[in-house]
Amino acid sequence: MIVHFINKNTAQKQQRKSMILLCIVLLLNAGVLNAAEVIVSANVVGQLKDTHKLQAIFSLRTLYWPNGEKIKVFVLPDNSAVHKEFVKEKLGMFPHQLRRTWNRMTYTGTGQPPITVDSVAEMLDKIQHTDNAIGYIDRRVEDESIHYFNAP
Amino acid sequence: MNRFNTLMLRNILYFVCLLSCSVCAQEIDTESVIGASTQEDNKLWEGAKKAWRDDIQFHGFLSQGLFSTSGNNVYGKSKNSVSAGLTEIGLNISYRALKNLSFAAQGLYRRAGATTGDAGEVTLDFGFVDLNLLNLQEGRIGVRGGRIKNPWGLYNETRDVAFTHPTIILPLTYFERSRTLMLATNGGQLYADYNTSLGNLSFKFNYGWVNADDKNILTAITYDPTASGHLKSKPSFATQLNYEMMGGTYIFALSYADLSMSYQAKNSGDPYAQMKANIEAFMVSGQYNGETFSFVGEYSLRWSEFTDIRLGVADTSPVSEYWYVQAGYRFVDDFQATLRYDSAVQNINDKSGQVFHEKTGLPAQLTFTHDITFGLRWDITPVWMIRAEYHRVHGATTINLLDNPDFSKIVKNWNIYALQVAFRF
Repeated sequence: MIVHFINKNTAQKQQRKSMILLCIVLLLNAGVLNAAEVIVSANVVGQLKDTHKLQAIFSLRTLYWPNGEKIKVFVLPDNSAVHKEFVKEKLGMFPHQLRRTWNRMTYTGTGQPPITVDSVAEMLDKIQHTDNAIGYIDRRVEDESIHYFNAP
Repeated sequence: MNRFNTLMLRNILYFVCLLSCSVCAQEIDTESVIGASTQEDNKLWEGAKKAWRDDIQFHGFLSQGLFSTSGNNVYGKSKNSVSAGLTEIGLNISYRALKNLSFAAQGLYRRAGATTGDAGEVTLDFGFVDLNLLNLQEGRIGVRGGRIKNPWGLYNETRDVAFTHPTIILPLTYFERSRTLMLATNGGQLYADYNTSLGNLSFKFNYGWVNADDKNILTAITYDPTASGHLKSKPSFATQLNYEMMGGTYIFALSYADLSMSYQAKNSGDPYAQMKANIEAFMVSGQYNGETFSFVGEYSLRWSEFTDIRLGVADTSPVSEYWYVQAGYRFVDDFQATLRYDSAVQNINDKSGQVFHEKTGLPAQLTFTHDITFGLRWDITPVWMIRAEYHRVHGATTINLLDNPDFSKIVKNWNIYALQVAFRF
């Protein structure tokens, strides 16, 4: 009886453990599903694919697409959760580092900073209706009108 | 106190006006992608796009500081009182006319104690044409002509934009007295950037005429506020090599400047008529910008040569030394603390100022400053920021002599309390 009880208790514990693990895995997956995605205008799909170039584009060191057109960069406000995640995950930087670079250019007249939009919806709208543009949204959505930076 | 109230009211009005323009920029919308745009929205957007010129941008900034001090004045009459003596308002326009040709200009309104007077001053901060000669993935080369900001250390180019530097009062090496002189060059700039997988190199070389017409520098050379002429720049240069690694996590810079000027007498009997000045200086800068911690250190030496000051006064060639170390900590993204130890010595051969005191009879503390600063900064939104700081100061070499005209009353140990509100767009 005692042995049976102990076994039952252990089984319950193991069950609980595996439930917790499952939850963690699900949460992690949810995190992956909600990762920020870089999007571009239809006319520049596949122009650049190298993600190492993203840092140069958003730091305004690379100013032109390979087709010679000026890159139009759109971003969300510095305190937006999507912006923070995008900067860390996709650029390998911190928002304050990017802001420092933009401020330096803006207030010495040596460059024009990205255009700030107020929401993901506005971002999507701007990228879809502006040529040569690049920006990001909060997660991957399968939609023919949305073009991803790393599209095949 | 009445004057202070009037000034504060005026500045509050500026803020309210700007606040109304900026409300839309402050809301964060984490709205999802789904159902984002409709056909009607598209039409509206298409219409707006035609009217919108994406090759022209406007930006600006505004800041207001409050100072209260013991011992010596900072930005107006702050001693045992409160001074609202530092106001900075800038507005700029940039226009990309062609792929390799652009124009940029910035107007600056500045009110900074006795240097500008109560009404403040409006100046053209920069205004230049930029011709990009070579533009590759690996870098670019170009020239700028007009009035260009001088690259000097980490903060000089944007020293009047509160958002871009860590404390209200900049480190001592950027002291108010040399601000005008170091600020910008009327002439040309050669620039070159080179991007590698290891980091990004950037080089700037400014050549031309600086603005030497500043009563503050003249007074610091002559210790005579009655000198009636002014200093005029001769051809000068300022250059910087900057290296950034890992997206700006590590920044190193080497700056060098060689500035020459001569005295322009107003009338024939002027005792300073033959005076000339030359300043050569270099600065080494290093910065680490982590996610929560940041560390900054800058070291600078300045060789000054003041010749033919006036009959009976010997030529002087002091070597000045400035350095500071600063640590920053971000409690959260929008809230940070800064701690700094800062040192300035006017003449490294007379660090205590004893020789100076014996020669001139003026207080020895006019030759050195050591400053411990503690500051807190809160970025309320991406466009609004407020910060407060405390300085424990020993010495007074970096104080504004126009705000403290009675040199004999300059105090050695004193405190600064400061508060600042800033806006940018």
